Amino acid sequence: MIEIKGLAKAFAISKGNKLSDTEKQDVRYSEKSFHSVRDVSFQCGAGEVLGLLGPNGAGKTTTLRMLSTALKQDSGSVFINDIDVLQKPIQARKEIGFLSADTGLYGKLTAFENVAYFARLHGMKETAIKSRIDELFSMLDMHNFANRRVDTMSTGMKQKTAIARAVVHSPKVVILDEPTTGLDIMTVQTVLDFIKSLKAQGTPVIFSTHHLDEIGALCDRVVVIDKGLSSFSGSLEEFKQLTPDGDLRQAFLAVIANQPQQGAA
Amino acid sequence: MWQVYFKELTELLRDKKTLIFVILLPILIFPVLFGIVGLVMATTTSKAMEEQHRYVIVNEQQAPEFAEALFYHKNFKKVETALTSEQELIAAIRNEEFDVALVIPADFASRKAAVQQTEWQLIYNRSSQLDFMYNYFDEMLKTYTEELQRDTLSQLGVDPTNLTAILKPVELTRVNTAEQRENIGESMGAILAYALVLLCLSGAMYPAVDMGAGEKERGTLETLLICPVSRTAIVLGKFLTVLTTALMTALITVVSLGVWGAIISAFADLSKVSEALASITVIDLMLMFSLLLPTAAIFAALLLAISIYARTFKEAQNYMSPLTILVIVPLMIAMAPGMELDVTTALIPLTNIALAIKELLKGTADYGLLALIFASTTALAAALIAFCVHWFQQEKVLFR
Repeated sequence: MIEIKGLAKAFAISKGNKLSDTEKQDVRYSEKSFHSVRDVSFQCGAGEVLGLLGPNGAGKTTTLRMLSTALKQDSGSVFINDIDVLQKPIQARKEIGFLSADTGLYGKLTAFENVAYFARLHGMKETAIKSRIDELFSMLDMHNFANRRVDTMSTGMKQKTAIARAVVHSPKVVILDEPTTGLDIMTVQTVLDFIKSLKAQGTPVIFSTHHLDEIGALCDRVVVIDKGLSSFSGSLEEFKQLTPDGDLRQAFLAVIANQPQQGAA
Repeated sequence: MWQVYFKELTELLRDKKTLIFVILLPILIFPVLFGIVGLVMATTTSKAMEEQHRYVIVNEQQAPEFAEALFYHKNFKKVETALTSEQELIAAIRNEEFDVALVIPADFASRKAAVQQTEWQLIYNRSSQLDFMYNYFDEMLKTYTEELQRDTLSQLGVDPTNLTAILKPVELTRVNTAEQRENIGESMGAILAYALVLLCLSGAMYPAVDMGAGEKERGTLETLLICPVSRTAIVLGKFLTVLTTALMTALITVVSLGVWGAIISAFADLSKVSEALASITVIDLMLMFSLLLPTAAIFAALLLAISIYARTFKEAQNYMSPLTILVIVPLMIAMAPGMELDVTTALIPLTNIALAIKELLKGTADYGLLALIFASTTALAAALIAFCVHWFQQEKVLFR
């Protein structure tokens, strides 16, 4: 279970940086800081897949970084399985599996070494690491490139390795930041199948994307973030009902164009 | 921390740039450096020594003995000319008609007979670094003037047995109290310290850039930060890796120097150098290493802090370039003539290390001062490591 309430985060603006006219009009900019996330709230329960939508620069990545403990929020709260990430970040990290668009892999290590390294950082024992990697590599069909260095791999191979790396410690929740960006169709399918398998196991999954077809195919819940606010938070059905014909694109544009809307939680 | 350390080390050892900067460069730097310098020097010197200079001599009848000695010298070839004035001779030399002109005054013989001093003029192009030609003239003129002095004094009735004492009443003999090791330490120590400290810096630079800015650029840092490991453990793991490579570079350099020194000594007659180097004890070497350890730690912490701050590999390299100059300046101070290790210089970072290494090589180190240097350098290293750890906790640094 992931619970986020009133999340906010601002970044200081460097003294040398002068605001453009567009930025001066933007409510997120003040003289000294940029309020990337102003008020974001949502929750994602067991076996639910939550799709995070929003224009570029809306605050999705900052929100996910706070969720994953990479950043500390200025205000609001994040609970991962009842663990306060601000108070107990190390404990919270044990619960989280995180996958980003740029894979986060080490080029000079092999697929096996990359996954094993993160397993060790999660405190797993060597015997458990080997059996878990064997299980994951079979599931993702990775055995044929297990000992290949990442910098010689194709994009698809890298993404599979990144998936294995993200879940090697059997996380209780999984966060994916634009995991299908720039991937070919086959690799996208691998990622989507992976999300489905997590859902089947009852793992809450939050993923940000710009692909509305992925939202329609996978998500139980939808959150739209715009200018640092959660402009919509509700079920997929509630999101579809924002427009008469249930078109996701039109629904998204309607949320962005209108005031914040709230579906039944 | 150790997981991070071993993983970083594995990656670095698989990186060609690391292998070049940390292992290959220190191994090859001395033989290549010595080889190139030796070859260039030998070739240039040999060429300069064998060169035959075309000369003209004005009024040679005034000093026939000297003219004859010059004529039979293997490095000189006479050229006939009717030119006599200084301007004409200079113009001819510039036109490469000949290389040198010796102008003996037209009244030299009569002035010599009257025991009067005269001035000879040597006209040539002095731009050459190796001025062997002047040396040849100087040597010949010494012999010639000594003969003139003897002749003159004999004519004045001086007892021939007293001539040497009259010509040179005092002969200064130097008795050097310094041991061979001290001499070699004085000349080699500062250069070795300079090389060791700079190699520590260069050995630390690339890994530091890769582990901070490189991780940011590749997008791996964020993945690392959300692992259930404290940021202190992560940064210390990275710091230890940078420290290891810095020390490895210095160690490989010392070993390389020793091995190549032994090889060169075996082929050349450098027994005195070998004896001097053999007198450097294992304790001296350990003391040098113990001084390099906190020095390398200073570099590792400083470079890692810079690298963590930079957004990209290139930005980190740009920040680090001025650091090299900041390191060279105190090392140059240590190489300045007359710089000695005392309580004041023992507190100047890097200058103190260079001076201490020199003293250790000379075998004249004051252990109290060494302790002071070790303590002050370690304190500085500890402060910089603490800063680096603090820096790595800052979101504004990690997510610029």
